[in-house]
Amino acid sequence: MQFTVPFPPGGSTDLVGRAVARAVEKPLGQSVPVANKPGANGAVGGKEVLASAPDGYNIALLVKSLFAITPLATKDQTAIDLDKLKIVGTLTTEDYVLVVNASSPHASLEDLLKAPSVKYATTGVGTGAQLSQALLFKSAGTNATDVPFDGGAPAVTALLGAQVDALAAAPSEVMQHVKAGKLRPLATFNEKRSSYLPDVPTVKEKGHDVVVDQRRFVVAPPGIPDAVAKKLADSFTAARKDADYDKFLKDNFVERWEVSEDEARQHIKDARAQYAAQVEKFGLRLGK
Amino acid sequence: MWSGFAVVFEPQNLLWCLLGVTLGMLVGVLPGLGPAATIAILLPITYDLEPAPAIILLAGIFYGAQYGGTITSVLLRLPGEASTVVTVLDGHEMARQGRAGPALGIAAIGSFIGGTASIVLLSAVAPFVADFALKFGPAEYTVLALIGIFLVASLGNGTLVKGVAAAAAGLLLATVGSDPMVGEPRFVFGSDQLADGIDFVIVAMGLFGVGEILYNLEHRQSASADVPAFGRAWPSRLDWLRSRLAILRGSVVGFLLGVLPGGGATMSSLVAYAVEKRFAADPSRFGRGAIEGVAGPETANNAAATSSFIPLLVLGLPANATMAVLYGALMLQGVPPGPALIDQHPDVFWGVINSMYVGNLFLLLFSVPLIGLFVRLLKVRQSILAPLTVLITMIGVYSLRNNVFDMVLVAVLGLLGYGMKKLGFEPGPFVLAFVLGELLESAFRRSMRLFDGSLLGFVTRPISATLLALFVIAVVAVPLLRVRRHGHLDRHEVGRGGRDDAS
Amino acid sequence: MIAGIVVAALGLAALVLGWGLGFGSLTDPGPGLWPAIVSVVLVVTGVVIAIRRPDDTEPFTRQVVAVLLAAASLAGYAAVIEHVGFEIPTVVLLALWLRLLGAEGWRVTAVVSVVATACAYGLFISVLGVPLPHLIGA
Repeated sequence: MQFTVPFPPGGSTDLVGRAVARAVEKPLGQSVPVANKPGANGAVGGKEVLASAPDGYNIALLVKSLFAITPLATKDQTAIDLDKLKIVGTLTTEDYVLVVNASSPHASLEDLLKAPSVKYATTGVGTGAQLSQALLFKSAGTNATDVPFDGGAPAVTALLGAQVDALAAAPSEVMQHVKAGKLRPLATFNEKRSSYLPDVPTVKEKGHDVVVDQRRFVVAPPGIPDAVAKKLADSFTAARKDADYDKFLKDNFVERWEVSEDEARQHIKDARAQYAAQVEKFGLRLGK
Repeated sequence: MWSGFAVVFEPQNLLWCLLGVTLGMLVGVLPGLGPAATIAILLPITYDLEPAPAIILLAGIFYGAQYGGTITSVLLRLPGEASTVVTVLDGHEMARQGRAGPALGIAAIGSFIGGTASIVLLSAVAPFVADFALKFGPAEYTVLALIGIFLVASLGNGTLVKGVAAAAAGLLLATVGSDPMVGEPRFVFGSDQLADGIDFVIVAMGLFGVGEILYNLEHRQSASADVPAFGRAWPSRLDWLRSRLAILRGSVVGFLLGVLPGGGATMSSLVAYAVEKRFAADPSRFGRGAIEGVAGPETANNAAATSSFIPLLVLGLPANATMAVLYGALMLQGVPPGPALIDQHPDVFWGVINSMYVGNLFLLLFSVPLIGLFVRLLKVRQSILAPLTVLITMIGVYSLRNNVFDMVLVAVLGLLGYGMKKLGFEPGPFVLAFVLGELLESAFRRSMRLFDGSLLGFVTRPISATLLALFVIAVVAVPLLRVRRHGHLDRHEVGRGGRDDAS
Repeated sequence: MIAGIVVAALGLAALVLGWGLGFGSLTDPGPGLWPAIVSVVLVVTGVVIAIRRPDDTEPFTRQVVAVLLAAASLAGYAAVIEHVGFEIPTVVLLALWLRLLGAEGWRVTAVVSVVATACAYGLFISVLGVPLPHLIGA
């Protein structure tokens, strides 16, 4: 058995993968070693699993942004077609939180959007952190410049040092700094308020139609026998009830996304169409 | 703090620490297989441990690997990390002169002293230093990388213009991958495999290790002739006298630069080397087996490895790939690293820090018998040693991303390293420029966005202005004055001039 | 001379390949600016080297065939292990290097390649758990 996590070890996707791998071992009745195969927002490892034997022993953890956002930033002829993959389990959804340094003069989302000039950090090109902020500032007509960093930690570092004015990142990356009083959350980018930040409004409440999140799910290669797929799906359903897994999600401010395969496909398809339409509407360029 | 020692001296924690440093030393010796990959592989073992022993074990792997990495750098010319590249310059040269024992011995002593000094400083001033690291923004990193690249071009012993050419080629290779600001693919040729750029370890292994092995294939007859005489296994009194101040300076440089996320450890070894070259009575010994050229950088990179725990433990910010995996390990343990760690989990915080004293002592004690053992490796016939080294390198490179494409890359870069050596280019400037080029370009472009395209930003920020002034005085003004006085500029003076900015 | 030409050619090639990337300006750099600066440095240093002709190059001898064979064997090794596992290619690779490139005797070749493969299996797969494709115990 090999559970491919196409992201580097230690990152948020890797941690979700390891937590669920640990929980799924008992229902599957065998050990589930995680293999990190990072590259191109999951495309490298994803393609490898797509081409592997459909025997149920090769599965991978993939993310929504690979299918909904990456295509907007880069034109890849060989991009993975989600329709070809079998989704054997949906796992988590993570919000993006817009934060500023605690010493920032901007006390609320309105303040920030009215600022004469905003430099916002992103966790990289073609990420949800970039898309969410770009759409927000563009729709509000704020004079804002994106400053991409190489991942979450360098971006948070820059905001803690007040090198930039704002940052959108996953709660797991910023919550401990919010709790320590170093960063101030202004808004979240989901349909509903985050259960971990019930007092922080959504940008939608504030009249900006920007909804961006990150979701994670487990896939198997095409042509996997139905019985095998069902065993995997049942095992992941059982794993999601595991107590340690539950504690992991709460500790890391991750929320559950537990839907059927069809719903998952529809959600990702809709999100992609919506992002593409908004990017078009505001004349945004995520890539070149 | 004292409760931390109570944690460390629990027998089972001593055992985990011992296991960690042993494993670390082992993977450090295996070229390519780095601490980040090893810690990731071993994460599942720690699930059933308490947080303190788990992190003591994993941290041990990290600093243990720093000791082990020196051994392959010196004996086989295989630097496993950017921070040991400069060790190769004089360390491998010493090995070729039959002085591998003293080189490894002084590295072990320096590492122990540097690591220990860094822990003392860490315990005393960690929170203050962490805040200092936050003051380093893109502008400061731009100037730092610029200084680094000037130091790099002056490192080698060949012709200066060839050093510059090799460094420029390294800078060019660093641009392969997606553009850091707009994501546009550069020199990627439509390949996903290259989309995120090339891992440093592949470049170092290819240019140094595989390149050297290919070169020796062609020179088999002559290579067997200069098998080094097996000299003494431990530094002499003279070695120690020459190195002791280098170790002292290396500790300070390493501790300070190691705190900076993004390139701190690499810069520390580079700066330490340049400082030693400057302080030496006869700089021309450098690159020809000067023991200070091993002692300074090796002390500095171990001090830096230790102080790179500060951003992780105090701020919850991982400074490099290995720290990112340790961060993940703490998260999976339910002990989020960050500002609250020291109050909420003092046993973990002080347990880990204090375990490093013990771990460093273990490593020093191991090194003594192991150096004698490893030096014997050089007695193995080249025709047997080469295939084994190549095999381990290939598997190590694979483990970076679990990807066979990287094995092909290392073979291609090995050919490049061979070709460079034939044409009289040194791999050192290439490899170090490769690391710093990425930092320089992205930091400069971030700065331009932050400053709205005004170059004035670099001189209005106090830290970047100070660094820049030191850089201009040391790299431009001083050598120019020398030129006017002597009518020429040789490379040692460029090298000497370069180090002032750091002192 | 050759060294200089190679460096200058590399710089030129990079300039041509990177032409379409967009230079921007120094204060608003595009993706192509930095590669272009570096390429120009390469061209200039290449020309200087070609003119000065520093006397530190070595001629390529016939032995270069062995070097190319060695590099090709590594690439070939990488190409096959995903399909047939790591055990057999490792033995073959080691045997090739020992016998053909290293001119060791058959007995040394056989013993070293088999024992080293077994050790590598034990260390990397059994102990360290590197997810290398392998046949035995897969």
